[in-house]
Amino acid sequence: MSTVLFDEPGPRAKRRIRIATVLGVLATLALAALAVRQFAANGQLAAERWQPYATWPMWRYLLDGLWSTALSAVVAAALSMALGLLLALGRLSSKRWLRGPATVYIEVVRTIPALLLVYVVLFALPKYGLDLPLFWKLVVPLTVSNAAAFAEIFRAGILSIERGQTEAGLAVGLTRGQTLRMIVLPQAARRVLPSIVSQSVGLLKDTSLGFIVSYGELFYSGKVLVAYNGLLIQTYIVIALIYLVVNASLSKLARVLERRSSARA
Amino acid sequence: MSVLLDHLPELWQGLLVTLQLTVASFVGAAVLGVLVTAMRVSPVPVLRALGTAYVETFQNLPLLVLLVLVFFGLPEIGIKGPPMATAIVVIAVYQAAYMAEALRSGVNSVSKGQAEAARALGLTFGQSLRLVILPQALRTVVQPLGNLTIQLIMSTALAGAISVVDLTEAAKRVNLQEAQPIAIFVGSGLAYAAIAAAVGYVTGRLERRLVIMR
Amino acid sequence: MRKMVAVVAVSLLGLAACSSTGGGSNPAVPGDAKPAASGLLAKAPVADAAAIVPGSTMEKIKQRGELLVGGSLDAPLLSQQNPVSGEVEGFDASMGKALAKYIIGEPKVKIVNSASETREALIGNGTVDVVFQTYTITPERAKQVAFAGPYYTSGLSIAVKKGTTGIAKPEDLNGKKVIAGANTPAIAAIKKLAPQAEIITFGSDPECMQALKQDRGVAYVQDETLLAANAQKDPTVQVIGNPFTEDPYGIGLKHGDEQFKKFVNDWLKKMQDAGVWQQAWKDSLGTVVKGEAPAPPAIGSVPGS
Repeated sequence: MSTVLFDEPGPRAKRRIRIATVLGVLATLALAALAVRQFAANGQLAAERWQPYATWPMWRYLLDGLWSTALSAVVAAALSMALGLLLALGRLSSKRWLRGPATVYIEVVRTIPALLLVYVVLFALPKYGLDLPLFWKLVVPLTVSNAAAFAEIFRAGILSIERGQTEAGLAVGLTRGQTLRMIVLPQAARRVLPSIVSQSVGLLKDTSLGFIVSYGELFYSGKVLVAYNGLLIQTYIVIALIYLVVNASLSKLARVLERRSSARA
Repeated sequence: MSVLLDHLPELWQGLLVTLQLTVASFVGAAVLGVLVTAMRVSPVPVLRALGTAYVETFQNLPLLVLLVLVFFGLPEIGIKGPPMATAIVVIAVYQAAYMAEALRSGVNSVSKGQAEAARALGLTFGQSLRLVILPQALRTVVQPLGNLTIQLIMSTALAGAISVVDLTEAAKRVNLQEAQPIAIFVGSGLAYAAIAAAVGYVTGRLERRLVIMR
Repeated sequence: MRKMVAVVAVSLLGLAACSSTGGGSNPAVPGDAKPAASGLLAKAPVADAAAIVPGSTMEKIKQRGELLVGGSLDAPLLSQQNPVSGEVEGFDASMGKALAKYIIGEPKVKIVNSASETREALIGNGTVDVVFQTYTITPERAKQVAFAGPYYTSGLSIAVKKGTTGIAKPEDLNGKKVIAGANTPAIAAIKKLAPQAEIITFGSDPECMQALKQDRGVAYVQDETLLAANAQKDPTVQVIGNPFTEDPYGIGLKHGDEQFKKFVNDWLKKMQDAGVWQQAWKDSLGTVVKGEAPAPPAIGSVPGS
């Protein structure tokens, strides 16, 4: 698509692009240099403010946090996918008593901030004697919230499978349940795989809410480190970079999957 | 229930802040999103790379981390904005990455013949994008953009991390005082659901009208 | 269900893994609490066998071989995890370890990191035996938990950037932007004494400090010990006057367990008589507050204790 929008630049255009590029890059570099100078003037580049992050104990602590992040994300993703699938099937069901509640759940929950759900689990449930372990204080609200999103992804996938597939399944004598399980769902899952991965990346990012309930995920681990060493800016930069690397790898995986599934289709 | 009425002024103020955050960062995200999309389909390699890097970066950072990093970090390089402005800019920049991604898939869904026709008529890159491609692309992405708007509304709840008293933060503060979490948080949750329902209604209308136009 | 248990177990393993290795100290860390000196714990008393009454909470803990303590990981000088050693250090942490030694004979504790909103529930359902977490004794809370102690009295203070004028007492904060930690008692205290102040909140003490230094607000209201530690680390910040509130910290116990409460109070008395309490103070809070250890508050002197 993008290649049809413009002609291959000629020698003149190429030269103009090159000059503009060089100027743009120079201007950007100049701005960056100014920013770095100011950053250094505020003492934020001083070696002793970065040195701790060249030592293994700090990294070990952060990697422990990353492990907790991964654990909570994996568990929350698995649970919310399972719940999401049930909700999607409920919303597509012909039975009104299933369709109604599933639709209401999806439509309401997918509009409520996860943070608000975390507060409910944190503040409201203990008042009724239900005090979950820290891990579940984070995983339960994330599951409740992401289940609605996964449900919509699965529903879109199921709806995208041609009716003929279902009809063919029924024609060869499969029950409705078998048709769904053996024919529709496998195809639907493959079609929405990229969306599932990107939703999972979103979920992993949401685990940073763990600091609210003081579950030891990456962001909270960073906060404990800051309380210990007082290096606020440096720690947050390091944390941001870790998230970036981890999530970029996951997104890369998503793209590879997308390419493979579209090549097959 | 009465706790909601007693604290209506604070909660109402919080709701207004949430709406301001939503509207302002939506506008910012839309403008930035279109720009980034244009960069990603442009003839200049550096711009294409920049556009891609933008989307990659902001889709892979948690908004919460981005908010605190920008809020406390930018003053150290000499740029200090008030909390509200910082929240709006950060949320706009963050959501623009998702908008750009949605718009790009919209651009890709416009048939190749449209672009060829535009070029054959002698339109420049900018003209064909503005007059032919984007209007059609927008039409196919009304629904995804509606979903992104709901996502944006939800993301404004994190602004409390940098001392903006939005609806969620206001609810938390009222709860700290009154300790009646169910009424307070369910009430605020319903307010979010109502805003989202309004957005859903508008996108639904919009989609129907645009479909007829086609 | 078994899967859930397994998952929880794995997550706890992950936490435990970070406390398994020791290592050198970090010179870049100012105001670092001294490691809970083994000297301190060596001096800490051990209960007579007779005091561990059969069927009591103490006996249950002794048989378990570990004291479950509700506490924080990110409160410098009080209960702060040292990422290098994995140990939790500070005044509250030392008190918890000393209590464990009193019951079990060894300072074996497991710190259950808890958000302050859920402490009553944690004690109520038996997730922890005791809470050492700047837990202010109030008659309201005493309806849900029992408080031994008080074991320390602290209070809220005001910190400003050096050179700030016009702020001498809490009432002076009216009409000004005041920084406070999210979910801290400072919010209610400011609302009461300076109702016209605009309160802006951040998630942690270092963030509040950064905000103060970046002029996001003119003053920062927080527990005096935290502020003292901050002022020591950062010479551009100063603490104004004496604390304007009095917060007696108690040891949170299960509601109605009078036997255990008396046992803990007896322990606290012994700690004070043996000078261990004073030593714990010197090793932690005493590193930022000038002078000798204060006289400990009288046990049972506060409504609710």
